[in-house]
Amino acid sequence: MRRSTSQAREMLKAAMRRLAAGDRSALEEVYRATSAKLFGICYRILGDEKEAEDALQDVYLTLWRRADRYDPERASPISWLATFARNRAIDRLRAGKVRLAAVPEDQAGPVPDDRPLAEAMMIDSEREARVHTCLETLDETPREAIRTAFFDGRTYAELAERMDVPLGTMKSWIRRGLAKLKGCMEMGE
Amino acid sequence: MNADQLLAAEYALGLLEGEDLLAARARESADPAFARDVAEWQERLAPLADDIDPRMPREEVWQRIEAELGADSGNAQVVALRRSLRRWQWAGGLSAAAAIALAFLALPQLIGPAGETRPDPATERMARAPMTATMPIGGTPLNLDFTYLPDDRSLLVGAVGLEADGVHDHEIWFVPPEGELVSLGVVTPGEVVAHSVPESVARTLHDGSQLLLTREPLGGKPEDSAAGPVVAEAEFATI
Repeated sequence: MRRSTSQAREMLKAAMRRLAAGDRSALEEVYRATSAKLFGICYRILGDEKEAEDALQDVYLTLWRRADRYDPERASPISWLATFARNRAIDRLRAGKVRLAAVPEDQAGPVPDDRPLAEAMMIDSEREARVHTCLETLDETPREAIRTAFFDGRTYAELAERMDVPLGTMKSWIRRGLAKLKGCMEMGE
Repeated sequence: MNADQLLAAEYALGLLEGEDLLAARARESADPAFARDVAEWQERLAPLADDIDPRMPREEVWQRIEAELGADSGNAQVVALRRSLRRWQWAGGLSAAAAIALAFLALPQLIGPAGETRPDPATERMARAPMTATMPIGGTPLNLDFTYLPDDRSLLVGAVGLEADGVHDHEIWFVPPEGELVSLGVVTPGEVVAHSVPESVARTLHDGSQLLLTREPLGGKPEDSAAGPVVAEAEFATI
């Protein structure tokens, strides 16, 4: 990891600690550093600019109110924040407030002009995480189903419909895929 | 993988909906081993999010957040107090709210010992120091949190984690040394709300003062009927 990247991460970690202690200026710092990443995630899942903005607002307000939930010993802040944003976006999707219109993967939105910062906010900038290589070991169908579930927030039923297979078939594909994924990832842990 | 581990993976990936989703959320808030499995899967999958292009939100979003913060927290003192108390219990996750809504409905009906309050005359004066009270919600790991701020005679009522069930409200009552209970308003589930406290209450509120919570129709106790069942209680203590 390059020096600037690890510095940016340490700054984010420190800002998260200040946030947990109730320092409001820390929230803006965290927002400036991470909102493009988290907005990208919300937008990808919700497929709508307006909905993604509402989700993003909700993410940071919740973060402020519940900052003490983040445990710096357990997860990297950006990984935790990305998971948090994805879960919130999926909650919105499931709550039925949003029509399904996920963005095609190749449709890139405006990207931040501050490239080094964007890189610093990669969860896994060296792509060392097992999940990348382990996904590749799966057959194409379960791999694509799992990727679509992750990136577009689709449910079993939606995936079955999309791939035009019975629900039970989709479930067993994915379950087998998840078991294999787990086995592969644990080998590297 | 056993069925539990599989469920944790399906839940973390976001494949579930409907009853399965509600059941998994309830499980996450009630079962630490399951919650750990979910967190582990989330962490394993998180690096995939690097494949999503970042996108700049409009500046307006931050302005909205700031505006909301201003409305939410009143003043710096409130925020500082709230943070220093650290009483919130998050019940294992954001998505636990649905499970808690159910539990909130099923509160055991406690009997409020309303006749037992014995105010100590020495403390029976207008409280000068902030006081807090914690009201456990039976059958859940949640509390209602009360913080009384004497300077602006307001009571912060924290009901974070709770969700409205759509058919009831819960009303907060102050138990004065003598006379009738005084309503301090209804709980706003999921939020921290400042309630203003009548001067008569502020004068008698002291260390040990009691609060009761009753279950009422939406909007609180109707004018012409008796209060609903007492479902929880709490006592104030000086910080």
